[in-house]
Amino acid sequence: MVCPPISWFNSTSWSGFKKYKISEILFFDRRKWTTVSGTEDSFFEMVSLRPGGVYTKAQLLKELETLASCGMFEKVDLEAKTKPDGTLSLTVSFTESTWQSADSFRCINVGLMPQTKQMEMDPDMTDREKLEYFRSQEKDYKRRIERSRPCLLPFPVQREVLQMLREQGKLSARLLQRIRDRVQKWYHDEGYACAQVVNFGNLNTREVVCEVVEGDITKLDVQFQDKLGNICEGNTQLGVIRRELPKQLRQGHVFNIEAGKQALRNINSLALFSNIEVNPRPDEKNEGGIIVEIKLKELDQKSADVSTEWSIVPGRQGRPTLASLQPGGTVTFEHRNIKGLNRSILGSFTSSNLLNPQDDLTFKLEYVHPYLDGVYNPRNRTFRASCFNSRKLSPVFTGGSALEEVPPIWVDRVGFKANVTESFTRQSKFTYGLVLEEITTRDETSSICTHGTRALPSGGLSMDGPPTTLSGTGVDRMAFAQGNITRDNTKFVNGAIVGERNVFQLDQGLGIGSKFPFFNRHQLTITRFFQLKEVEEVLHGHYGGCVGDLPSYDAFTLGGPYSVRGYNMGELGACRNILEVAAELRIPVKNTHVYAFVEHGHDLGSSKGCQR
Amino acid sequence: MASPAAREWLGIQSLPGATQTKLHELLSKLKQENVSTVTILVMGKGGVGKSSTVNSILGERVASVSAFQSEGLRPMMFSRTRAGFTLNIVDTPGLVEGGYVNEQALDIIKRFLLNKTIDVLLYVDRLDSYRVDNLDRLVIKSITDSFGKEIWKRGLLVLTHAQVSPPDGLDYADFYARRSEALLKFIRLGARIKKQEFQDSAVPVVLAENSGRCKTNDSGEKVLPDGTAWIPNLVKEITDVILNGSSPITVDQKLIDGPNPNDQGKFFIPLILAFQYFFVAKWIKRAIKNDIKNESKPLWELRDMGLANREF
Repeated sequence: MVCPPISWFNSTSWSGFKKYKISEILFFDRRKWTTVSGTEDSFFEMVSLRPGGVYTKAQLLKELETLASCGMFEKVDLEAKTKPDGTLSLTVSFTESTWQSADSFRCINVGLMPQTKQMEMDPDMTDREKLEYFRSQEKDYKRRIERSRPCLLPFPVQREVLQMLREQGKLSARLLQRIRDRVQKWYHDEGYACAQVVNFGNLNTREVVCEVVEGDITKLDVQFQDKLGNICEGNTQLGVIRRELPKQLRQGHVFNIEAGKQALRNINSLALFSNIEVNPRPDEKNEGGIIVEIKLKELDQKSADVSTEWSIVPGRQGRPTLASLQPGGTVTFEHRNIKGLNRSILGSFTSSNLLNPQDDLTFKLEYVHPYLDGVYNPRNRTFRASCFNSRKLSPVFTGGSALEEVPPIWVDRVGFKANVTESFTRQSKFTYGLVLEEITTRDETSSICTHGTRALPSGGLSMDGPPTTLSGTGVDRMAFAQGNITRDNTKFVNGAIVGERNVFQLDQGLGIGSKFPFFNRHQLTITRFFQLKEVEEVLHGHYGGCVGDLPSYDAFTLGGPYSVRGYNMGELGACRNILEVAAELRIPVKNTHVYAFVEHGHDLGSSKGCQR
Repeated sequence: MASPAAREWLGIQSLPGATQTKLHELLSKLKQENVSTVTILVMGKGGVGKSSTVNSILGERVASVSAFQSEGLRPMMFSRTRAGFTLNIVDTPGLVEGGYVNEQALDIIKRFLLNKTIDVLLYVDRLDSYRVDNLDRLVIKSITDSFGKEIWKRGLLVLTHAQVSPPDGLDYADFYARRSEALLKFIRLGARIKKQEFQDSAVPVVLAENSGRCKTNDSGEKVLPDGTAWIPNLVKEITDVILNGSSPITVDQKLIDGPNPNDQGKFFIPLILAFQYFFVAKWIKRAIKNDIKNESKPLWELRDMGLANREF
């Protein structure tokens, strides 16, 4: 590139260190012979001076040098006129560089390649030397093109640029600017936020070469910060974080902001951090490279919580009084991210009298151990072990619609379960494990109840109804294997759920326990969500069956909000085999929705198969 | 659920002499075969004439009969002894209530019969009904489910109101043949007995006429339209059934409880498990893998792997 001559139109005397205020910047295009005010010309961005700014002569000279050497101008001058108010009006008069018109366009990726060295042309060179100089320049550039990598810019955009070149005719600097903007726009729209056009080459040939730096990642840096933002040692192991990063965020790939967002979402789902940042930063050591920085603020590892309930009820004379002085409530504690591998222990105790918990103590103690196969293994298996107890009203021991008041039976379960869950996608998973349980059936007074009630023909109720437990003593102990496989590919499309959800659940008795229960209890649920025009449809089918020993509390029940709506839980019957089908329509009407549903439950003739 | 101690069969003396003689003959025949106690179970729909038949056999009005009311829910056993021979007849409530089989009544009957042995089942229905429908089959099915298929080897079909005028166009013999054929067919269907088996050990059909209008012969015995004295005939058929070589049904707790549904199918569990694993679980797993394969990947991922070939 040749340095254009610099000339000054001295209309004022310049002082070396005096500061001048620029009130306006004008651009004078010598070719078009037009003057435009600063912001309207596309070259405005090349000038770092701003109207209203104060500059010294040295700064103005430097600006002129920068403009001269940028390659956009054949000739550029700076003219300064003093205005009546003492400020300067600056005119940049320039001759735009032009080159031979081109009919071919090529885009190369020069990321991580060193910049071409500008060899100064010695003005004393002979013609022959000049020729050699130009030839060697050409050869160097050709080698540069060969060494470069193909760029991501797709053919349609390249064709567009070619069209721009052909339409324009002569290749001008403004056209180059437009090409640069178009290429960068494509990269930025697709998420490659760090891509830049650094240079145009081969300008005096029929081919225009656009040199692009796409923003290749040279390093991935994970930093832990404390609450104040200082860098600190993190507890979480790096493998846990690296697992969650998409491949595209690693060294050697082009940085894409969508990959960054995906990384953010994935790391967020670990629930280990209070703040996550994924930022690209230019690499000082490798020109054109990007360092991706991930900054993480970890959550507290240990937490404990006590929440109490004091029930306040209306007392004498309507004044609110404490129903009891005993505090009821829940105590929970959590110890998370043990060993930095996202393992956790969670415990919770609930009672109506925390100071003296007795029969109604509900507890749950759970240990979660993810990455069972190792942090670096792509398989996502989690091991969970938990101790629990629960108390539920049995829907099996309810009267049908004919009988009104039937004494309820509470089913207490205490046990231990251990299982392994393998996640295939965010929603689909496969769980298998072992459960050891002790099940007690109690009546309302919390005493063990061995038989349900039976209506006598005389109208009374007798206590020698069907046995509540398998062993007949009111307490059952059993161990069985449990498995569940869920396939869920539902997605939100236009605000409605679309997709399919299939669940298969199996409880396999192993013959261990009271009366050696050997059974195979299985359920298959298939739900499909459609959307036809505006109407959302849901089709649902549920089949359940039990072969072998079936204790009454494990029988399937018909009726209830998840079974046949409109009936209480278990109101329609208890059975060994069950088939439920349902269809629902959701129709948007004006601003709300109208729902219509049909549900049918069938016991497949197996109600008698439950002990009565 | 009254079952009073056996009393002397005084009612037999109210039967005509010829009938008494025949009955004594049949009872001694049974005693010869070492059968000194016979328990007869009388079952059927409501209002067919069970209690009347019982009264006719015993010769006294032991069971209450009311034409328009449905009977109570209680089975009653009447025991009578005569010359060292004990006859127990169990009269039961009707098995149909409100168009459905009355499971509760069946339950009560079963409980009543605990630890008793049934020698003969009398299934009673009316000769002068024309239709046999699914309800009849369900009644038979319930009886079979409760006591087992074997009870029909000791079963008799008793058709009451035998002194009926058949509808126009049919003669008595024809009418009787068709009615009994229809009922027997439903017994076979309800009890799920194979055709061949049924033909080999057919259920005998006996006619009865319990009303006071029943015609009598010269000896004063109640006779059917064809001239047979029906009470001795019935007892004869009962005796034949007892001595036909099949075994009586003992009603024990196991029979009452029925086959334990918990045990049914246990044998198949390993097969079921294998089916569930290889078909159901693997199918869902394959579907999940397909989901993963078909998941539309965003362009930035595709471009990176070179899959999109630089398309938009």
